[in-house]
Amino acid sequence: MIEVKDLEKVYKSDSVETPVLHGVSFNIEPGEFVAIMGPSGSGKSTLMHIMGFLDRPTGGIYKFEGKSIDEFNDDDLARIRNKKMGFVFQTYNLLPRTTVFDNVRLPLVYSGLEDKMEKDLVKEAIAAVGLSHRINFYSNQLSGGEQQRVAIARALVNNPSVIFADEPTGNLDSRSGKVVMLLLQELNDEGHTIVLVTHEKYTSEHAKRIIQLYDGRLVSDEKVSLRRYAKDEKELIK
Amino acid sequence: MKWSESFFTAIDGLKANKSRSALTILGIVIGIAAVIAMMAIGKGAQGLILSQIATLGSNNIFIEPGPWSKNMERGTLMQSMVEEMEIKTLKYEDALAIEKIQNVDKVAPLVIGVDRVIAETESKKVTYLGTTPQMIEISDLRCYLGRCIEDYDVKSNARVAVLGYKLKKDLFGDENPVGKKVRIKKTTFKIIGVAEEKGVQSFLNMDELVHMPITTAQEFLTGADYIRWIAVKVKDENLIDQTIEDIRLLLRERHNIYNPSGDLTKDDFKVVSQKETADVLGQITSIFTVLLSCIAAISLVVGGIGIMNIMLVSVTERTREVGLRKAVGARKKDILLQFLFEAVLLTLIGGVLGIVLGAFISWVTSFVFGQLLNTSWGFLLPLNAVLLGVGVSVAIGLIFGMYPAQKAAKLNPIEALRYE
Repeated sequence: MIEVKDLEKVYKSDSVETPVLHGVSFNIEPGEFVAIMGPSGSGKSTLMHIMGFLDRPTGGIYKFEGKSIDEFNDDDLARIRNKKMGFVFQTYNLLPRTTVFDNVRLPLVYSGLEDKMEKDLVKEAIAAVGLSHRINFYSNQLSGGEQQRVAIARALVNNPSVIFADEPTGNLDSRSGKVVMLLLQELNDEGHTIVLVTHEKYTSEHAKRIIQLYDGRLVSDEKVSLRRYAKDEKELIK
Repeated sequence: MKWSESFFTAIDGLKANKSRSALTILGIVIGIAAVIAMMAIGKGAQGLILSQIATLGSNNIFIEPGPWSKNMERGTLMQSMVEEMEIKTLKYEDALAIEKIQNVDKVAPLVIGVDRVIAETESKKVTYLGTTPQMIEISDLRCYLGRCIEDYDVKSNARVAVLGYKLKKDLFGDENPVGKKVRIKKTTFKIIGVAEEKGVQSFLNMDELVHMPITTAQEFLTGADYIRWIAVKVKDENLIDQTIEDIRLLLRERHNIYNPSGDLTKDDFKVVSQKETADVLGQITSIFTVLLSCIAAISLVVGGIGIMNIMLVSVTERTREVGLRKAVGARKKDILLQFLFEAVLLTLIGGVLGIVLGAFISWVTSFVFGQLLNTSWGFLLPLNAVLLGVGVSVAIGLIFGMYPAQKAAKLNPIEALRYE
């Protein structure tokens, strides 16, 4: 589903060139749960942005569902992001002064669905993250953990084939972090492909496979032998 | 993205900063109100002036003493009235001669003056009009008490007077003054009638006038044989141009003016039709309206710059929002429309409020002027001004909102999401 080959990215600003990715290659199959790990500056976020169609590579090949990113214009990328991808960010990025319902609904605004169908989908997604009782709260009335769960609901409301999570637990306490990881694992079990970007070893061990980056190069790519299951720590959550 | 969606998003955007939105709107409100008020007042003034001229009917010609001045070839009414009153070239006999011209229906020579009229207990400074029965017919004056001026009054220089409706009230209250005496300049006049209420006509308040035979006015009051102007009613509107030419030829002959080339500045009189006068005044008021509206429009531009300023602030403030919207699938067009919609909504609200305020200002103006001039200044809110107001406010939103909206639409989603 995701095919990365010799991927390069060089940032250019005012005649200064900053190479971030130096030829990274790997594939991700549907249903995988991949953690991309590495210290800050290793290029993991940049890689995720390219995989999430938020940015374009400066060299190499990136194919999503068999089609190269070069075949699409910016509006095509926006449409694919809307239909097939979901994003969870470290800082949640919810709209302030906006209800949980409207925040979760945001991707559907740009997908041109029927109003009635839209409402059901939003309610379903909010129920999936266990926030039905907060549906009419404003986003800024929620705790950090709840806000990130709203962000997850927003990411899955359009039933995407892949969800990109960029340090989703980075701003959360360990308890809220576990809830988030539990949700991501549940979504993976339901068939969503998950790409998780993190610098924490502990968090990455919730994935099925870990890709390690260092200075823009892939240094290791292996299956997790001792996978952590957030649901085993469920008693901590409640 | 659906249109209704854009609309609600824009409303939410404005609600987020209520006082800021309100202040920005105020700039547009003032601009639109100024334009609307100027247009409405201009239209009202024009209507008033034209209706005043039209009160005497459309197929009239006026003859005034004095030559056409070179730099004001068309605007006789604009020339100093005082200056004209001193010109002595027009005689009563001229009027009698004009009466014989073909196509002339009625001729009315007029003299005018201002003096104090003294009744039994009251006195008042008034305008008196020396006139003939023809003038009374032209101006459609009727007497509800006694009788109006007749030909034999004119022939006999009879010292008789007809009082205007309001003047009678002021001097005699509810009494019937017919048969009583008033004095003007040591001359005693017998009141023979009171005119019906008539209002303002050709900028003269008919209700405050004293009418008397022209011969009487000349002999006892002005003490001269020249007259102020001659009103001529032509039988048919289509014959006006022909009749004007006939009058010019006749008067040149009578005044011994050699002017075969028809150079109007050589004449010692002016002949002008009612229609011409109306056209000139109509043009002048139109120019004033356009000029004032242009000045008012400048404030609209200032308001528009305010819109652009606030939209730029709004885009910067909401950079992360734009980044997020793009990440979840908003296209450039969606972002562009969102901010453009917001700008247009601001200016449209301002435009509607501005029209209301402008209408109110012009209503107050029409009321005040109506009281001041003792006439009805029709309150007008021209439909084209309303449409223009709405159109212009939307256009300003589009023009001044475009740059900030484009700026938002062009944001790179990654950079926008990271923006602090």
